[in-house]
Amino acid sequence: MASREIVQYDSGLSRVFKVLAQVFLVIYLIWTVSPFIIMVGSSMKDLLEAFTLPRVGDWLGALSFFNFSPTFKHYVALFADESFGTYLGNSLIASVGSAIIAVVLGTSCAYSMSRYQFRGKKDVFFWIISTRMAPVVAVIVPLYAIFRSFGLVGTLPGLILAYTTFNLPFAIWMLKGFFDNVPYAIEEAAQCDGATRLRATLQILPLVAPGIGAFLVLCILFAWNDFLFATIIGSGGAKTLPVATKELIQPQNVQWGKIMAAGVVTTAPMMLLGLLIRRYLVAGLTMGAVKE
Amino acid sequence: MQKSLSASRASFSAIEEDHGYAARRLDYGPGALNEEPKRRYHILLMAPAIVTLAAITIYPFFWLIYMSLHKVSVARSDRWVGLDNYARLFGDVKFTDGWLLLLKYSALCLTLEILIGVALAVILNGSRFEKVLVTVFLMPMMMSPVVAGLVWYYLYNGTFGWYHWLFQSIGILGETSILADIDTAMWGIVIVDVWQWTPLITLITLAGLKRVPQDQLEANMVDGAGSLRNFFTVSLPNIYPFLLIAILLRFMDNFRFIDHILVLTGGGPGNATRILPVYLFDVSFQFFKLGRGAAIAFTLLIVTIILGMILVRIFDDPKKQAASGGAGETTDD
Repeated sequence: MASREIVQYDSGLSRVFKVLAQVFLVIYLIWTVSPFIIMVGSSMKDLLEAFTLPRVGDWLGALSFFNFSPTFKHYVALFADESFGTYLGNSLIASVGSAIIAVVLGTSCAYSMSRYQFRGKKDVFFWIISTRMAPVVAVIVPLYAIFRSFGLVGTLPGLILAYTTFNLPFAIWMLKGFFDNVPYAIEEAAQCDGATRLRATLQILPLVAPGIGAFLVLCILFAWNDFLFATIIGSGGAKTLPVATKELIQPQNVQWGKIMAAGVVTTAPMMLLGLLIRRYLVAGLTMGAVKE
Repeated sequence: MQKSLSASRASFSAIEEDHGYAARRLDYGPGALNEEPKRRYHILLMAPAIVTLAAITIYPFFWLIYMSLHKVSVARSDRWVGLDNYARLFGDVKFTDGWLLLLKYSALCLTLEILIGVALAVILNGSRFEKVLVTVFLMPMMMSPVVAGLVWYYLYNGTFGWYHWLFQSIGILGETSILADIDTAMWGIVIVDVWQWTPLITLITLAGLKRVPQDQLEANMVDGAGSLRNFFTVSLPNIYPFLLIAILLRFMDNFRFIDHILVLTGGGPGNATRILPVYLFDVSFQFFKLGRGAAIAFTLLIVTIILGMILVRIFDDPKKQAASGGAGETTDD
């Protein structure tokens, strides 16, 4: 990793800029991180402690936020009373299931698309990307009606299928980019050596394996974080973590401790996975338009 | 890193390049070595994905059109109403307001995200803490939007919310929570979107900045240009295609994700934050008027498809788009 050459600007104005920039950076950093700190902190606080604020304008008093004795009772209650274990399982099955389907079907399709030329290919591509970009609410309306008639509403297979609507196009689109970067000569060489076409195809899979792994994780991330599909298609038998978390908000009794704990439980695994595939994350979020 | 950068230039223009590459390949292509027809093999590999995708997207799309022409009810069978569902949309203030609010919401989000995101990228680029900070900035994007909404709902709370305390302390908010007031509720949801997605703009811009030719910057500085001039004359034209992509992606995502709005305001107070997708959600799944919902969904889909076409055009050839200076008129494809 060659270090970039840093151009030094040297004028009076620039120095002012530099200070301003640093202040801006610090403020932005605090603003990015503060919700996380407050979420984690509040999840480990007693109700009374969590609801204590300093007086308005008492900036130093804000530090009192860190003054508490941590308790894990909200986490315990989550799994004991609210059966979050079940929802965690649902979330896992639905997101991993759809991710596997998307990546398996997506890989073969992407390979084929990368190597094979046919009329209307551009249109097929546009169709694929458009299904990924469609507003979820608009997609859900007909999907809900169809799934209801097939008895898929409130089931995990229904949810997995629903997630496939956005994960499969994503996988095809991204993995094609990977295959495009693998020279066709490798397969040709294999075929010269007498390998069947399928053998030749399979042997380049290890070359793109890291990419496939990363996009498996990304598909899991997208499905795991979904709320709309889960709340409409999954309602009833297939409640996922985000839905269960939201349902902790009840008109009479909002259990903030539990909600924050549930937020941590929902967010933490994805944060770890996200860091794992950091390199691919931006490409994934922008559908490969931009890579770092 | 340099290698991956130049390789990725092609990512979306790959469609274009592929034409050349594959066309050349046809002569000594896959079929040349083995006897079996190459068509079948490739179509066989493609079929499962295409069939699945068609089953869960094209089939529902026709269902959507069917539903939009019917009065759909849970108990009785659907009744044909022709274009009635569409006609009623014109008299529906919430529908027209929904569009306006969606545009307002998107405009606010995009403006803030672009301004802050680009500024951040310029500051971060080449700085000592770049790697660490970029990693930290990735955090909000990995949070489920609905959880982000819940956390901010907590932060905005009028009695124990820390951000409410902050707003009061700097004197921009009184006793009422930001979400409870018709005038400020929109800002409440915009702030959450900006919090979660500004880093994406930063990352895209950073990727663009890495490709700004250093010699141009230096040549410009020899000519006596300051850093600000340098940014506008050299960097900005270079990152422009990236920004264009970022803007369209975020614009479409504003149509896509309403999770945090459902948590934060649910469209209220009054209808202050009932942007069209939220209204669509209400009509379809609060009142279960699926026929009318389908009609609204259809209008939303058409607009998104047009946006998608623009996007694909830009992906195809970012450079040319940048040169011709905009994407407004390239909706036909």
